[in-house]
Amino acid sequence: MKKGVVIFAHNNRQIDYAKMALASGGLAKKHLGVPVSLITDQSTVDWLKESNLWDKALQTFEQIIDVERPADLQQRKFKDGKESVTAPFKNSNRSSVWDLTPYDRTLMIDCDYFIFSDALNEYWECESDILISTKYNDVQGNRIGYLDKYISDTGVRLLWATTVMFTKNENTKVFFELVKHIKDNYKKFADIFRFDNRMYRNDISFGIARHILYGFETDNDYAMPPVLSVPDMDLVYDVNENGIQLLTSNANDYTLCNIKDRDIHIMNKQAITRHIDKFMELV
Amino acid sequence: MQNEYKDALEFSKYRQTLSVQRKTLKEKIEARLTYGKNGGIFKIDRDLLNFVEMLIYKDRSENVVILDVNENPILVENLVEFRDEIFDRYFSATFEYHEEYQKIKKSRSVETLVS
Repeated sequence: MKKGVVIFAHNNRQIDYAKMALASGGLAKKHLGVPVSLITDQSTVDWLKESNLWDKALQTFEQIIDVERPADLQQRKFKDGKESVTAPFKNSNRSSVWDLTPYDRTLMIDCDYFIFSDALNEYWECESDILISTKYNDVQGNRIGYLDKYISDTGVRLLWATTVMFTKNENTKVFFELVKHIKDNYKKFADIFRFDNRMYRNDISFGIARHILYGFETDNDYAMPPVLSVPDMDLVYDVNENGIQLLTSNANDYTLCNIKDRDIHIMNKQAITRHIDKFMELV
Repeated sequence: MQNEYKDALEFSKYRQTLSVQRKTLKEKIEARLTYGKNGGIFKIDRDLLNFVEMLIYKDRSENVVILDVNENPILVENLVEFRDEIFDRYFSATFEYHEEYQKIKKSRSVETLVS
């Protein structure tokens, strides 16, 4: 069974997701010891070539899979500590991973998820066809709200599609087709499950799909480990071989902390961008 | 600002950083003590170590079924090999925990905690 990591990256004018994916993919390859493939679009490939990163991309990724660029259907406010910038958010094609992945067992990660340990290697042989994180783990520990656990006040459990591992088979095909169906009928599902549909979220679609496929029950099946997350109100202070130094936001102040040898999801894209070369040095 | 209050705020900052460092270290070790085998996921803890050792002591060391974290039955063909793997993992993870915990304990400022 061929196993590997898949990352999606579609650049917009504000955020260089491709460069982020280079760092993220390089770290995944280094720490998990498996091949990594990139799913991207022609304009992002052109940008990689223009930025002289194409050779690096060919070294890092086993395959670079060119797909149609998702439409700019939604704008999102990307927070950067106390500042923010609004940009298109192209996250609507994750359900196509089942068709696109070159692997039998795939770990799909977000390009802002950086792997610094081999902890996820324990899950390749797990007998579950699909594993998704069920828990958000705030780096500071105490900033988890109800909507980080459930899709709405009255809705089902939210899943964290930041790390998804699956085997390519008929069961998972049904799952990803259902995710696509939910995405295509997002408003209808928002009426049924009572969630805020102003911005498309894979976490919500994955949560509902799993709820439906488990017989409309909350399951206690195998899951990926909780996603250690740094919310976008936090800042990256420095990145070096001693770890990632973060400024985590409190009510009126910031707390400095250091994360080392942990897989980490950094939601502040601008903060990653400011330190992306340092992330690349760690590959 | 009065010096006493300034010192208290400095100490408060130190405690906040200390709390995050301890939390993330504990989680790192928990991840190291998660062990995938034969399709199951095991949490390496004293219960599992004792249970496996007891089975071997009772001459039940081949084709043994052990319940994993999800209470699913997992067949372990060679329990001695399984025991050796989880013991190795347990000792290396707890030693690392001890070493890093001592470093944190001895750090008396935010700067030393994050260095």
